[in-house]
Amino acid sequence: MASSYWDSTQKKFWTFSKPQLALERKRLEDSERNVVNMYPLPDRRHLSIYFYHQLSKMARPLGIRQQALATAQVYVRRFYVRVEIRRTNPALVLATALYLACKMEECPQHIRMVLAEARHCWDTSFNDISKIGECEFTLISEMNSQLIIHHPYRSLAELQSQFQLTQEENSLAWSIINDHYLTDLPLLHAPHVIAITAMFLAVVLKPTQGGLQVHAAGVASALQALGNARGGAGQGTQNRVQKLVDWLAESTVDIEAVVECTQELISLYEIWDSYAEKTCKDQIAKFVKARGLEK
Amino acid sequence: MFTGYNTKKRVNERYKIIGFISSGTYGRVYKAESRNANPPNSKLFAIKKFKPDKEGELQYSGISQSAIREMALCTELAHPNVVHTVEIILEEKCIFIVFEYAEHDLLQIIHHHNTGGQGGRQAIPARTIKSILWQLLQGLVYLHRNWVMHRDLKPANIMVTSAGKVKIGDLGLARLFYKPLQSLFSGDKVVVTIWYRAPELLLGSRHYTPAVDLWAVGCIFAELLSLRPIFKGEEAKMDGKKTVPFQRNQMQKIVEIMGMPSKERWPLLTSMPEFPQLSSLAAGNARFHRPQGLENWYQGCLKNNQYPPGSGPDTPGPEGFDLLQQLLEYDPQKRLTADKALLHPYFTSHGNPSENCFEDSKIKYPVRRVSQEDNDIRTGSLPGTKRSGLPDDSLIGRPAKRLKEG
Repeated sequence: MASSYWDSTQKKFWTFSKPQLALERKRLEDSERNVVNMYPLPDRRHLSIYFYHQLSKMARPLGIRQQALATAQVYVRRFYVRVEIRRTNPALVLATALYLACKMEECPQHIRMVLAEARHCWDTSFNDISKIGECEFTLISEMNSQLIIHHPYRSLAELQSQFQLTQEENSLAWSIINDHYLTDLPLLHAPHVIAITAMFLAVVLKPTQGGLQVHAAGVASALQALGNARGGAGQGTQNRVQKLVDWLAESTVDIEAVVECTQELISLYEIWDSYAEKTCKDQIAKFVKARGLEK
Repeated sequence: MFTGYNTKKRVNERYKIIGFISSGTYGRVYKAESRNANPPNSKLFAIKKFKPDKEGELQYSGISQSAIREMALCTELAHPNVVHTVEIILEEKCIFIVFEYAEHDLLQIIHHHNTGGQGGRQAIPARTIKSILWQLLQGLVYLHRNWVMHRDLKPANIMVTSAGKVKIGDLGLARLFYKPLQSLFSGDKVVVTIWYRAPELLLGSRHYTPAVDLWAVGCIFAELLSLRPIFKGEEAKMDGKKTVPFQRNQMQKIVEIMGMPSKERWPLLTSMPEFPQLSSLAAGNARFHRPQGLENWYQGCLKNNQYPPGSGPDTPGPEGFDLLQQLLEYDPQKRLTADKALLHPYFTSHGNPSENCFEDSKIKYPVRRVSQEDNDIRTGSLPGTKRSGLPDDSLIGRPAKRLKEG
C-alpha cells in the first residue's frame, strides 16, 4: 500500500517519537519491576541480532523470503512494546510471528512446518501447534489486527531507478535496510526515510569486497555531507554524493530524520562487534526456565 | 504470567445479538446492537463470526490465511463506500469482525424489483442505478489505489444503507496486489462467483489484475438494468480433481451475447492457458455464430423494463450502453479502470449522480430478514453449508430453508 502509507495504521499507531517509545517501555518495565530486576537482559540490539539469527534459522529450510522475515521482525518488535518480554517465551513468539508474517506476505507455511523448525532451533521447546495458534491470537490482539507493514524495500526500488544506483550500491542499500530491523528504526521512521538513509549510506560508504565495513572516515564524511544538505548548500566533494545531497536539500525529506537514522545504524554496527550469541541465549533461557514459560 | 491468550473484550458484553442474518463457508453473520450506546438500539452492527477450520475445534489450529487477510484489510481501509469495520474481537478461539450495519444489499434490491411490492416486476429507477454505480466505483477506486483487489464483487456483497449509501462489503477474498511473493494464481485457485467472473479468469489467466473487478461491475450494471444476471452460467465443479475445470458453460453464456473474443481485439488471447478450449465451444451451438450482440441485449433490456427512449435523466440511455460496453471489454488491458469509469459521460451528462441512491425514489424496500432461532453468537451452531455451486442468493432465495438450519 505504497500510496497510502500516510493513512496507514503503521503511521497512525506504530510510529513513535524516541521519548514516546522510551516511555512506553518504561511503563512496561515498571509494571514488572521485580522480574525485570531479577533477570537482566543484553542490549536490545544484541537481542534483536539473536532473534534475527533464530528467525533466519527457521526461515531458511522453509525457503521463506526476506520480506516475510522483515515483517516477522517488525511484529516481534511491536509485540514487545506492548508485552514485557520476561512474561513470554521468545521462542514461541518468534515462531508465531514468522507463521503470521508468511500468511500476511502471501507465502503461507503450514503451522506444522513452522512448529517443526521452531523445535529444531531451540533444543527443548513447546511441541504442540495449538501453542502457536494461541500465541497468534495474542500477537494479533496486541497489534490490534494492524498487520500490514510498509517496508522500505519498495521505496528503494523507486530510488534505484531515479538515481541509477549500481548493482553493488543497490545490494548494499538492501542489506542496510535488512540491518535496520535490528534497531528501533522501524518504530521511529517512515519507510521512505529508511530507504533514503540506506541509499545514502550505500553511496557514501561504497561497497567493499568484505561487505559493509564502517570506517570512521566514511561515517564522518556521510554525516558531513548530510550537514551540508541541512544547510541547503552542496559542498560535497564527490559527484554522486553531491547529486544526492542536492536532491536531499531540495526535497521535502526530513534531513534530521535521515541524520538520526544514520547515527542509529552506525551505532548498531559499532555494538555488533560485542555481540555474543551465548549470552543472549543463556539470559533468555534463565527467565524462561525459572518462570516456567517453556511448557 | 503468560499463560495463554487472555480475551480483553467479550462480544456478549459489548453487543446484544438481535438475530442471525446469513451464513457461508467463512462462518455466520449476526445483527447486533451495542449494549453501551445511548439509547441502546441507536446503533446497529453486523458481526461476522469466523468458524474454526474444523468444526467443533476445541484447540487453536492457526487462523486461515483468508481470515488474516480480511482482518488486516478491514483494519487498514477506511472509505465512505467501503463497509466500515468497527472492531475485531478475538475471544476463545473465535474471531468476530464487527461491521457497521447496512439495511439492504443489491441482491435484495434487485429481488424486490423482480417480484415487485404490489405492482409486479418494476425496473429500478435510472437515477438509483446511476447513483449506485457511481458510489460503487468510488469505493473501487479507493481499493485499487490502495493495491487491493476485491475479487468477489457481486450484488450480495454490495451493501446499501437506509440512507442510500453504497458500501462494498466482504473483503474475504480481497488481496493486496503489489508485487506478490507468489503468483496471484497459486494462492487460491478459484476466485469470484462464476456469473461475475472475468473472461481472463475463465480462460485460466495467471496474471490477472484489478480489471477483474471492473468486469464484475459491468455484470452488476447489466443486472441492475435487466434485473437478471446477464451471464447466468452453470458452474463446472472441481469433482475432487486437482485441476480447475474449464468453465465451458459460463464462457458460452458470455459468447452468446458478446460474440467470440478475437486476437485482433485482445492480442494476448492466444496465450491464455484455456485458449484451445475456446474453439470447441462452437460445436453444436447456433447462438455462437450469431451472437445477440451487447447492443441488442441492451436495447431489448431498456425496452422490456420500459425505460423511456432517447437520452435523459430517467433512462440509462446511449451513455449507459457505452459505459457497459467498455466495462464488459474482453481485453483486460483495454477494459475501463475504475478511475476512468468515473469520468464517463454516463455520470456527467444529465446532472450529477446523487450520493444517496434512494433520492427522489418513492420505492420502499423491505428490511433485512433476521432469524431469531440462532441468536447465541458464542455457541451458535455452524451449519456445514458451503458457498460452492451457484452464487448464493441465500438471503432472499430460500429463507424457509435457512431458518431450519439454525
